Amino acid sequence: MPNARDLVAIRALIASHKRWDMLFGVVGLVALMIGVLTFVALFADMAIDGIPRLNWDFLTSFPSRKPAQAGILSAWVGTALVMLVTAFFAVPLGVAAGLYLEEYAPKNWMTDIIEINITNLAGVPSIVYGLLALGLFVYQFGLGHSVLAAGLTLALLILPVVIVATREAIRSIPQGIREGAYALGGTQWQVCKDHIIPYSMPGILTGVIIGMARAIGETAPIITIGALTFIAFLPAPPLKLEPPFVSFDWLFSGFTVMPIQMFNWTSRPEAAFLQNAAAAGFVLVIMTLAMNGFAIYLRYRLRKNIKW
Amino acid sequence: MGMTEHISKQFEADLDTTRTRVLQMGGLVEAQILAAINSYATGAPDLIAQVIENDARVNGYEVAIDGACGQLLVRRQPAAIDLRLIMAISKIVTDLERMGDEAKKIARMSKRIHEHGTHQAQRFPAIRHAAQVAVKMLRQALDAFARLDVASAAEVLKEDSEIDSEFKSVLRQLITYMMEDPRTITSALETVWVAKAIERIGDHSKNLAEQVIYIVKGTDVRHTSFADVEREIARE
Amino acid sequence: MAAVHIAPNIEPRADAGKPVPKAEARRLSFYYGAFRALKDLDLVVHENRVTALIGPSGCGKSTFLRCFNRMHDLYPGNRYEGEIRLYPDDTNLLAAGVDPIEVRMRLSMVFQKPNPFPKSIFENVAYGLRVRGERSRRVLGDKVEEALNGAALWSEVKDRLDDLAFNLSGGQQQRLCIARALATDPEILLFDEPTSALDPIATASIEELITDLKKKVTILIVTHNMQQAARVSDYTAYMYLGELIEVGRTDELFIKPKNKQTEDYITGRFG
Repeated sequence: MPNARDLVAIRALIASHKRWDMLFGVVGLVALMIGVLTFVALFADMAIDGIPRLNWDFLTSFPSRKPAQAGILSAWVGTALVMLVTAFFAVPLGVAAGLYLEEYAPKNWMTDIIEINITNLAGVPSIVYGLLALGLFVYQFGLGHSVLAAGLTLALLILPVVIVATREAIRSIPQGIREGAYALGGTQWQVCKDHIIPYSMPGILTGVIIGMARAIGETAPIITIGALTFIAFLPAPPLKLEPPFVSFDWLFSGFTVMPIQMFNWTSRPEAAFLQNAAAAGFVLVIMTLAMNGFAIYLRYRLRKNIKW
Repeated sequence: MGMTEHISKQFEADLDTTRTRVLQMGGLVEAQILAAINSYATGAPDLIAQVIENDARVNGYEVAIDGACGQLLVRRQPAAIDLRLIMAISKIVTDLERMGDEAKKIARMSKRIHEHGTHQAQRFPAIRHAAQVAVKMLRQALDAFARLDVASAAEVLKEDSEIDSEFKSVLRQLITYMMEDPRTITSALETVWVAKAIERIGDHSKNLAEQVIYIVKGTDVRHTSFADVEREIARE
Repeated sequence: MAAVHIAPNIEPRADAGKPVPKAEARRLSFYYGAFRALKDLDLVVHENRVTALIGPSGCGKSTFLRCFNRMHDLYPGNRYEGEIRLYPDDTNLLAAGVDPIEVRMRLSMVFQKPNPFPKSIFENVAYGLRVRGERSRRVLGDKVEEALNGAALWSEVKDRLDDLAFNLSGGQQQRLCIARALATDPEILLFDEPTSALDPIATASIEELITDLKKKVTILIVTHNMQQAARVSDYTAYMYLGELIEVGRTDELFIKPKNKQTEDYITGRFG
């Protein structure tokens, strides 16, 4: 038992140490608020400008020279279709590549180099992807200025993100689970198919959604490959009444996407078009939030069964 | 035994304490036997009373050491030589306690013999001799235990036959007396009890020596011929 | 020891019949890269007996155990020398021509930390059979029940086979892993410190189970708990620095080890 004087000294010491706790608490809160409040301010500003313009007609009309009649139908349909193509290509490719690197590839300098390259690819400016895609997809493969070319470009853009996320998710699976599966006589593919892929799904999904959220806002590569800025038609519908009932013509159709539509409107002199841009921006943010929400929901559903 | 020390210093200390107490108990029992034999020779009442009184201390040792063995078993789950040592100690203290009982028995007999006033002990040097051998056996067995010395323990086993033959010769002598003079029958019978007690002490010392062999060699040599024991000891 | 008297049959573990070898390591060495982790081990594992591997941390006991089901093949740079023969067919489990997957289908393993899959109780036990291509719901159901019974878990989980395995307690999870290992009728069960993550009650139930299981299967167990080896095993092998120092019947080894190093270790004199 220390004597009373020591106790007083210890308490003074603890109090002085705790002042730093307080200090960091305040600094951290301020840092957090700067980020959050900026976003809230931007979003509120956009909402105030845009919401009065939002109505059913805005969503179902094609662009027009008259601001009051202009809508974003072709833009959001284009965005949705491009995202569909992006996900369709990026997810299987990214997961397969990540899985191969983690589970199959021998650990040597080759895989080390590939690993470094993938990490670097994630940081390459998107316009570079646009240039690459213009040369390769649009001209070399002759895909034209189409939904397919845009989807493939964005797929390429988010592929590194998906691969990295897949690898991280796979690495978080405890080695004991892997060994348990192998010890029962599983082959590499059985272990991957029954264990590794299902258990890393929540992490992979997170990566995919982060990638998609980045892709949905990309403007530069889409412009580079020659998206149209003003279109008053929709791509051909994927379903038909006559056999074979499905059609892939939409893949090769011209298109526009939300950010391009916004860009187009903001470059107009009329104030009414600026209001349209704000409304479109609001819709775009809602689309992104919806995607993120869906991802969080899926993650929660899948994570529920996994505890380690 | 050049054993390295236990990692647990406490275990080492507890084992040491228990071993020391066994030796202390052995010393006490030895003193009891000597006093009892003396009381048989002299009939000194205070000596007799002292032997009878001290037997409670011997019993106290037995209970305390057995308790300590139980503690060691529970706390340390000993194995190999430690396990053998503790098991052997538990048996050794039983033998020592029995020897204490024999000493008390001798003291009681001396009291009765001297009360009858028919003491003829001085005529039985054989009893004195047997008692000396018995005490020597005990001393050597305790010594073997203290040093975990198998060769010394084996000698104790050999000496047991000496005590047995001493007992037989005492018996023969007493039978001669009883036939010569039937009035000595009562005192002679009492003397037989004393001789029997000494012979039992020899047996218990032998048990003790057997436990020493068990501790060191891990072989149970009870109920085995001496030749087999010697062969076992020689084996490495 | 020529005892003349009649020895009554009060052996603590009356061995029924003469032990038959089930597996045998012959001059087995194992290398992690250039490091020689196991040195010329020779060990016979007897059928329907429990053989325990004991020794201080890093002595190679787990490494040795993992040679038996070729677990080391999962990682690069590992190399075996010597043989592990499996009887009665006398297959060398370490031979280059023997597929590690085949070996793992014959020998099951239970790990240190319970490692159930994040699936239902049923699917956990059934997985080994699914790997073997079993699809019939009826066969799977029967086998799962049998294995859970074998692991003394059936009565506790029979009403919630579709529950997640993670909802079981630690001891139950480990018994589930034993059931999973049993479902495929292995010839040898390998236990790698199966109770080190469990409390004393769960440990006791696993030990009870091991004693029970040896009627059906040969068991090789690694344990850092000497008392556990003394309690469950028929034979004990003491390892130190990658070498096998002493092998013997458990009762003999723990009362009267032949080797000084063994004695020092089991009496807590290891320094």
